[in-house]
Amino acid sequence: MHKEIVEFLNKEVAGCDATTKEVEVGHASVVVNADSVKAVCFALRDSSDYQFNVLQVVSGVDFEDRIEVNYIIASFIKNIELILKVKLPKAGKDETVKVESVCDVWKSANFLERETYDMLGVEFTGHPDHRRILCPEDWEGFPLRKDYVVQEVYQGMEVNPASKVNQDDFDFLSKAKLDAANPKFVSGSWDGNVSPELSDALKRKMEGLESNKEK
Amino acid sequence: MENSNNVEKLHTDLMTVNMGPQHPATHGVLRVEIKTDSEIVAEATPYLGYLHRCMEKHCEHLDYRGIIPFVDRMDYLASMNMEMGYSLAVEKMLGTEVPERAEYIRVLVSELQRVASHLMFFGTYAIDLGAFTPFLYAFQDREEILRLFEELSGARLLYNYIWIGGVWNDINDEQLRRIAKFCDKMEESLKKYHDLVGMNAIFIDRTKNVGVISEEMAYQYGATGPVLRGSGIDWDLRKKMPYGIYDKFDFDTVVGKGEMGTVGDCWDRYQVRVLEIFESLKIIRQVLDGIEEGPIIGKVPKIIKVPEGEIYVRTECPRGELGYHLTSDGGKNPYRLKVKSSCFTHTSMLGELGKGQMIADFVATIGSIDIVLGEVDR
Amino acid sequence: MSSSTEVNTNLYDDELTIGKWFKNIWTAIRSVTKGLGITFKYVYGVKPVTIEYPEVREELPANSRSRLFNDAENCISCYQCATACPVDCIYITAVRRDKEAPALKTKGGTPIKLDLLQYTIDTALCCYCGLCTTVCPTECLTHTTDYEFAQYTVDEMKYDYLADDVRAWRDRIVK
Repeated sequence: MHKEIVEFLNKEVAGCDATTKEVEVGHASVVVNADSVKAVCFALRDSSDYQFNVLQVVSGVDFEDRIEVNYIIASFIKNIELILKVKLPKAGKDETVKVESVCDVWKSANFLERETYDMLGVEFTGHPDHRRILCPEDWEGFPLRKDYVVQEVYQGMEVNPASKVNQDDFDFLSKAKLDAANPKFVSGSWDGNVSPELSDALKRKMEGLESNKEK
Repeated sequence: MENSNNVEKLHTDLMTVNMGPQHPATHGVLRVEIKTDSEIVAEATPYLGYLHRCMEKHCEHLDYRGIIPFVDRMDYLASMNMEMGYSLAVEKMLGTEVPERAEYIRVLVSELQRVASHLMFFGTYAIDLGAFTPFLYAFQDREEILRLFEELSGARLLYNYIWIGGVWNDINDEQLRRIAKFCDKMEESLKKYHDLVGMNAIFIDRTKNVGVISEEMAYQYGATGPVLRGSGIDWDLRKKMPYGIYDKFDFDTVVGKGEMGTVGDCWDRYQVRVLEIFESLKIIRQVLDGIEEGPIIGKVPKIIKVPEGEIYVRTECPRGELGYHLTSDGGKNPYRLKVKSSCFTHTSMLGELGKGQMIADFVATIGSIDIVLGEVDR
Repeated sequence: MSSSTEVNTNLYDDELTIGKWFKNIWTAIRSVTKGLGITFKYVYGVKPVTIEYPEVREELPANSRSRLFNDAENCISCYQCATACPVDCIYITAVRRDKEAPALKTKGGTPIKLDLLQYTIDTALCCYCGLCTTVCPTECLTHTTDYEFAQYTVDEMKYDYLADDVRAWRDRIVK
């Protein structure tokens, strides 16, 4: 099915560069040029062969160098579904990437694109109501990007305050290692989130032990 | 003459009313900002995110088994169906074979869950429209299902029961007999409930011709499930693209016919849901006849590593189609797990549906779409 | 301003005739009697289904997933529960046993090579998913059927399974 769609798209929409790749596991997708996504969507919706009348999801995936936006569309008349993909090169941290909105094709794109903007920072040009949807309006950063760091203070409130983190339990392992004669005999389920002073002290102790051994 | 001129000069403004986030009719923490012209809604804007936990980010840091308790918490009224979709997605990527008995149990629990969820809709929708008693009746029957699930899985609401490759615990004969008895009782009492609520003159007046979703609008907004079927479209994923072993069962798709008013009004959606309970009971009876002894969990590696690739799996949930778009890079945790929530797309309809309605009718419309905010915000 | 909004009017433009008027009365009476009939059947025909909670307590099913209990005597400190936990609420620290110390074994016969120093579960964080109990090799970590464990502060929700007061549950739970 994918090959026919690629042929159809290359014939119908000039410059969309549709390609597809056979996959061993999961589902194949059709990749198109980001500039022509709206024309492609119109062509797929209005073609009598496919009649993709429903937009199911707009889902973004953040990779190291690019953000992929997947439009998963389905035809409830012809009983088929398709993953349509555009690849957008990433500019930098907290910088949005741009692609044309498909709100005119399917109205459900309105909320779905807003969610993708909110979570991944994909800006949809020509969107009628381009705001954040799940996070507050003044939230910083895009949570589903891989390099996202939660902001420390939001409207005067501390995000993840220390009083709500079980610091004593996290530190228990390091303390036990410090107290023990041979820290290598002590093991635990917890490695991260240790207070910096403790981890420094532990590092010094380990170095001391090793230098003793060398002597 | 002079007086009437003055009246025309009087300046009337639209009044902004916040419905929610703490409002009994919004079924959770949905806020709808309504601009009202006296009793009539001129503009409705839904604001989401009050229950946003960023599940999708959590899932990126969990192993594949550990995600199941999290997907439970998305649509907490239909946890079994949520688990089923997720397990199917991972199994398809892994190529795991699920034993026959496990498949039967899966269908059994997800249909029972559908009954429980629709009963919940029945009760809360009656409350939205001012009838309190049906709520208690519905909960009484729902309680039996929850009790059974508690014995099966150990929890009442968030089961973690359907695992990758099969199910957690086996079901015994005594429980199967109890389900059979429950089906008979449910069928009888549901007819009674439908007479009490669905055929009530006040209920019909409140719901007919209200919140009409036309066929075109349903497609445009990507509506699925009972909302789509309520608009008169014959589309049920279990029939059209069967997953699991749904192709073995014989049942009908319920479609709204506009018996009381227009096709696609609130009454149709109510009707579709109530009749769907009967269809679910039909499936459950066939499961009880067909289930055989055997293993309940297939062969799954101890540490699950899904091969590189992507997959999109849809299942039919009580509220509509649920999709999982799973992208894997071959590691121990998913690279990205996107959840397609039907409630989210249905919420986007509220703006257009609300225009020109009375406020009380708007409440009826929100209720008839049957959203669960846990799934909307995720 | 007010002219900009349009009302869905097809609800109200039915013309009322005498026939309709009587028909409406008939519909109202019929549906009210039907509804009240069902309601009265419930008033006199059905036993109460609720229980009066503090006086009557329901026994939960045997495999119900409620408060966790770790039998520290049988724990071999394998960390599998902590690894499986999706919310990371189990904290374990253990130290290797001296070779001279007397050899210990669990009920099932597995030798214990590590001494527990810390076994804490933050019950306030716990999501009762049951994944930790399924991976436990010696079956020392179990879900009990206790469901009343409300506390005044969040800190009290943290259970130290090596403390004496928590160990005292053992007689009640481990059979």
